[in-house]
Amino acid sequence: MVKEDILRLLSEISERIKVETIKDEIKVAHPFISKALEELERDGLINIQEKFISLTELGQEKAKTILEKHLVLEDYFKKTKSTIDAHIAAHILEHYVSRKVIDIIKKLSTLKKEGVPLTKFKLNKEGLITEINVSDYKLFERAVSMGLFPGEKIRVISEISHGIVLKVTNKKIALDRSVAERIKALEYEEI
Amino acid sequence: MKKFKILLIGQPNVGKSSLLNALVGPRVVVSNYPGTTVEITKAKKRFNKTEIEFVDTPGIYSISDRSEEEKVTENALFEENDGAIVIADAISLERSLYMALQILEAKIPTILALNFVEDAEKKGIRIDYEKLKGVLHIPVIPINPLTKKGIDKLVDTVTKIKSVSKTSFTVEYDDHIESAINEISSQIKETDISKRFISVRTLEGDEDFFKFLKNDDVIRKAKKKLKGHPKVEEDITITRYGTASFIAEKVTQITPLLEQEKNLQDEIDRILLHKIGGPLTTVAFLFATFGGLLYLGNLIQGFLTGVTESLLSSIATAEHSVLTMVLVNGLTGIAIGVSIALPYVFLFYLLLGLLEDIGILSRFIVNAEIFLKGLGLPGKAFIPLALGLGCTAPATRATRVLVSKEEQFHTASLFAFVPCSSRIAIIMGIVGFYGGMKLALSVFITSFVAGLIWAFGIKKVFKKQNEPLLLELPPYRKPLIENVLAKSWIRMKGFVYLVIPLLALGGVTYGILDMLNLTNIIIEPLSPITVWLGLPNETVIPIIFGFLQKDLTGTMLLSVLGSEISLALNNLQIYTFGVATTIGIPCIIALGMIIKEFGFKKAILLTVTSMVYGILFAGLAWRIFCCLF
Repeated sequence: MVKEDILRLLSEISERIKVETIKDEIKVAHPFISKALEELERDGLINIQEKFISLTELGQEKAKTILEKHLVLEDYFKKTKSTIDAHIAAHILEHYVSRKVIDIIKKLSTLKKEGVPLTKFKLNKEGLITEINVSDYKLFERAVSMGLFPGEKIRVISEISHGIVLKVTNKKIALDRSVAERIKALEYEEI
Repeated sequence: MKKFKILLIGQPNVGKSSLLNALVGPRVVVSNYPGTTVEITKAKKRFNKTEIEFVDTPGIYSISDRSEEEKVTENALFEENDGAIVIADAISLERSLYMALQILEAKIPTILALNFVEDAEKKGIRIDYEKLKGVLHIPVIPINPLTKKGIDKLVDTVTKIKSVSKTSFTVEYDDHIESAINEISSQIKETDISKRFISVRTLEGDEDFFKFLKNDDVIRKAKKKLKGHPKVEEDITITRYGTASFIAEKVTQITPLLEQEKNLQDEIDRILLHKIGGPLTTVAFLFATFGGLLYLGNLIQGFLTGVTESLLSSIATAEHSVLTMVLVNGLTGIAIGVSIALPYVFLFYLLLGLLEDIGILSRFIVNAEIFLKGLGLPGKAFIPLALGLGCTAPATRATRVLVSKEEQFHTASLFAFVPCSSRIAIIMGIVGFYGGMKLALSVFITSFVAGLIWAFGIKKVFKKQNEPLLLELPPYRKPLIENVLAKSWIRMKGFVYLVIPLLALGGVTYGILDMLNLTNIIIEPLSPITVWLGLPNETVIPIIFGFLQKDLTGTMLLSVLGSEISLALNNLQIYTFGVATTIGIPCIIALGMIIKEFGFKKAILLTVTSMVYGILFAGLAWRIFCCLF
């Protein structure tokens, strides 16, 4: 993970930089950085010459995709006004979110459209979860563990008097209105 | 002989019970409804030269300290075991992997059993097992418990679990969190549990793990360093789910299906989950089955009573001695027990098991939410309340499906108004038999009204935030009859082994008191109660003894008043007697269970309050009746 951060930093600055600068910028214990640098050099992604580091061609390519991912995510989180700070959330997610999700999110953020709360989502239309905004952590964790996660495909199949029933990760889940209105989704056709 | 102890862990509806069935047979059956089983069940089986003990845990979505079920599983992880089988659902792999990744954090030798592979393929989902195995570094075995596919291989892998690598895949968190994990890890007391797991759990705020820390300050310090970082707990969850979906996507190939065909499942749900149709069908169904059960139960009970009575009368005609007294009273107790257990308790649990295994029960819970919400209870309270129609004692235990202790106690307080099979037997057998069915029905209605008034009153006592509805609705399935039978037996086992002996004992105790003429001592001082109720003084005996053992109420009423009850009591008195014996915590066994779950103070408070309320209500009810007619 440190490795990805180093590559991103190098490409953002786009010139050779000192090892010390990296150690200042990336707030991780120094031994981790030294180890990461060693591995990056071994993989042929960077050149280290007299304490100065630069990206190799291969490294530049790799950094480009990382940077793109980062920017897409940061932009997305800013737009969706998520509870999580956009920059930092992007920083966390870029390491884990798959290419597919990135593509979708990229589309979402260029659309300048916000998701609608699940309580107002059209019945029997497919869509993607764009945001989950439940502040009680234990409830948030339960919702996520049942598949209610940004990027998952959903379909609201029924409206019940106190909430909705939806299909997510091929499972039917009944959801109280108070939770459903804190989760947003966008219809596929609008993406 | 080699012995292994293996945990079975899986999310609800992942096919855990059918896997256990395929492994050891239908002896231990766990329900497919999340939350009906909150206990660990164990089952041993010999396979050639090895003996494997399977430890079945309640179905949960993730390791957490949120509810009883999750705590039970969390604790099981660290009791002595050789490893775990995590059952994953091929149809919804990312969700299954979310929990699997948590188990891997605990560094327990793990085997992943992949269920519903064929179903997934029908939906165009194909999983590359080898690739998944490569990513996770643990054995991955596709299974089908119904055709027994993969079961032998699974057992074989269990016997080699010692060689399962401990360097399995580990979720890597954000750098800041990783350094916090390192910091906490260095401050953990000597333990066998994975330090990384403890660190992550404490960061997630699981207080059960704070005891492993060398001092209380560790977490605070670590979190202080993380200041400026977004919510750490959420970050951990997001990273874990992100990793799970990333892995799932890597190993899954999806061929989109062209047209989604209309299926029966969705058609049924169109009715059962309809805004208005759902609650209506639920209520209609409940009334129909309740009525049907009463009718059937009555038939069977009538037949059984006939048989036991003729049996008893042949003994009773023998000479009068202490021995025959003990024998007759004891046997009467047993006979009553059987004639209630068989028709009401067993039929009821059988039906409940069927509804559960078919998958209808969870729809009922969703619909019950509308009604229960008004009473300040979550829809899930439907399960213990429905179980209460069988026997209050196991129903009290079933309140554990609810998240907070307060919600659990709130639900238990309503058991005073949910007539259990014993109380139903009194209403049907005494009130209905001597006063007619209309009278029996008015007793049901009166206690229902009393319950509603109580519930609205008590709602204000429990000023709590209800757990919002968040419930998975499993697909409808054809139930396995042996599963349903075994489950009904497990549920009524407590009744048979505990209640029936107590019935016999209660009968004998009463016989002795009666022989020594001690019963009169009770009657006099308690006469204010019977005066308030407008009943003959002797009736306090069945009311009091009814608390020791509800099912004795009927026999005792007969023995204090003589067999011609209609001569001793008028219809209004029969009605009052019915109401007075119905409302309240039914018996000492139920009280014992409530003490066990909620402590002595709360249990006594509830029992006394509901008893006083019941007697007051019964006295008021007949006075109102009197004025009306």
